[in-house]
Amino acid sequence: MKSLHTVGLLYAREMRAALRERSIVINSIVIPIVLYPFMMWAMFSGIMFVRGQTEGQLSRVMVVGLPAGHEALAESLEARKVMLIAPSDTTGAAAGIHGGSLDALVEFSPLEAEGTQGTFRVRLTSTASRERSEEARSRVTVVLERYRDDWLQIQARDAGIGEEEWTGFRVRLKNRASGKEMGAFLLGLMLPLFFLIMTAVGCYHPAVDATAGERERSTWETTMSLGVSRASIVTAKYLSVASFGTMAGLLNLAAMTLTMGAIVKPLLAGSAEEIHFGLPLAGLPVMAVGAVVLAGFIAAVMMLFASFARTFKEGQAMITPFYLLMMVPAILLQQQGLTFSTTLALVPVANVVMMIREAVAGVFHWPQIAITIAVGLAMVAISLRLAVFVLRFEDVIVGSYGGSLTTLLKERWRGRDAGAQGGVR
Amino acid sequence: MSEITVEARGLTKMFYDESRGEVRAVDGIDFQCRSGEIFGLLGANGAGKTTTLRMLATILKPTSGSATVMGREVGEEPEQVRRSLGFYSSSTALYPRLTARETIEFFARVNGYAPDEVPGRVRELVARFGIEEYADARVEKLSQGMKQKVSIARTVAHDPPVLIFDEPTVGLDVLNALDMQRVIGEFRTQGKTIIFSTHIMSEAERLCDRIAIIHGGALLACDTLEGLRTATGKRYLEDIFVYFATDREDGT
Repeated sequence: MKSLHTVGLLYAREMRAALRERSIVINSIVIPIVLYPFMMWAMFSGIMFVRGQTEGQLSRVMVVGLPAGHEALAESLEARKVMLIAPSDTTGAAAGIHGGSLDALVEFSPLEAEGTQGTFRVRLTSTASRERSEEARSRVTVVLERYRDDWLQIQARDAGIGEEEWTGFRVRLKNRASGKEMGAFLLGLMLPLFFLIMTAVGCYHPAVDATAGERERSTWETTMSLGVSRASIVTAKYLSVASFGTMAGLLNLAAMTLTMGAIVKPLLAGSAEEIHFGLPLAGLPVMAVGAVVLAGFIAAVMMLFASFARTFKEGQAMITPFYLLMMVPAILLQQQGLTFSTTLALVPVANVVMMIREAVAGVFHWPQIAITIAVGLAMVAISLRLAVFVLRFEDVIVGSYGGSLTTLLKERWRGRDAGAQGGVR
Repeated sequence: MSEITVEARGLTKMFYDESRGEVRAVDGIDFQCRSGEIFGLLGANGAGKTTTLRMLATILKPTSGSATVMGREVGEEPEQVRRSLGFYSSSTALYPRLTARETIEFFARVNGYAPDEVPGRVRELVARFGIEEYADARVEKLSQGMKQKVSIARTVAHDPPVLIFDEPTVGLDVLNALDMQRVIGEFRTQGKTIIFSTHIMSEAERLCDRIAIIHGGALLACDTLEGLRTATGKRYLEDIFVYFATDREDGT
């Protein structure tokens, strides 16, 4: 009870000091709320702007050999913002498409085979390396296909053939997913990765500040001379870093969920009207647990690495490789069709990402969730044990040790532990 | 006779250094300090003063030998030892983002001062050290002199019976250094044990009831200033220090 009270006092001091540091507030609170919603808004606005620009432009298309009796096709093309350019040298036209002075070339040629009188072949030339040419190709293709369907219908009707006879079969697409399910699917694709990144960002600055930052400010020895146990100090520091990570992850989840609808809907136009972006209530506790487990693990490892640093910059350099490494499984998990298997539940970080992804979609594999929590807690316990072990070495405590975690482990493993002889509590 | 509050018995500390191998930073030191006494550790830079004080403050653990503070072994009850002393040094800076008032309150609470009495204690120290005007300003905004006052206040916030000052006047201007000496003198009159390390002879002469001369990790002499004068036949502490240090280097 007394040690809980002590940890509480130390924790309050850590949190108060951290919340007064601008870089921590920005990185652990402001950025998780604002960054990704803003980035997505900027990205989708950019896409919408480019799309608007492209749609407003005329497509410059050279049409060669338009057969007589098909003048309606030319009218349809012009109605779709296609500017018809009088035919000239087709070899030069190819160069024009490549160079950007022309967007597409449409060449009609009659079919020579018996029974094909009145029909023709169309060759459409464009370049996929230019957006405007791609847009021209898309417009011409849509007009040609629609024109062909209409023409076929007229021909069939004139020949007395019913539509069902000549079409053979038609494909009808039906999406059984509700708007809510579609929203959950889209959120599940993006949220877990952002959640992981933001949880790590949330831990990053507080972890360096609580360890290397204290050394840089010469307050490390002040803390070590307090009338409390080393374990209490480590626990309070750890809890404060994990709190910032959890807070950053959850704030990001909330901000993304609240803003996603407004940001994405205009891009999905018509079809998105029904899409509902929201988190299932049943998933919230699972997500909260996921945030705690993930932040707990990241905080422990980051503090472990940073406790060897003597300056803030050194601390950042020691943590960054772990930060980047952690992103790898999360990026791989963006693949579609991946299932939350028992094996995957055993992989730290990846398991929490999968757990959050499924919780967003309202899917709960309880055995895997239990394994994920157990693995997370085990990793936290191992990291903290290692941290307490490392803090037994007084050269680490007083900041005179010049190596990293791996160097220390190698040295102590070999048994040269003069610095450790005075292990302190 | 006042009670013995701090005792070191054969206190030794060895370090491993990449270039020098095993280094004996403190070599079998013995001394006792009493309540109401300023005990000075006088030595050049690197003599072993800070290492000795860090062992007493349980930041470092002795390689061999032992020490007690208020009857508690530093190796066995480190938390209780730390609670019974106030440790002040140039490497124990203040938390820059706390205010002066929050700093004093935090140190009082965390070091075990009776929770109900903490607000009164904070008010008392704020008034005593004249920090009312900037008590609610963050420490990072304070001048060196203001920080020094807050540092002393936080050192004594839990009213410990033993105070350790490791080169407390390093980096201070003359007026602030004199002010620090005055405050340390006041603590003596309150009956506290003060262990005071310095390499400035005049400070030791002016403040200390007994002086221990430490050189190369070893305690060469420990007595009152008068006792040291009698033993060496020298009047000034500078000469007394040279006398012992030269003897040590000559191996006599």
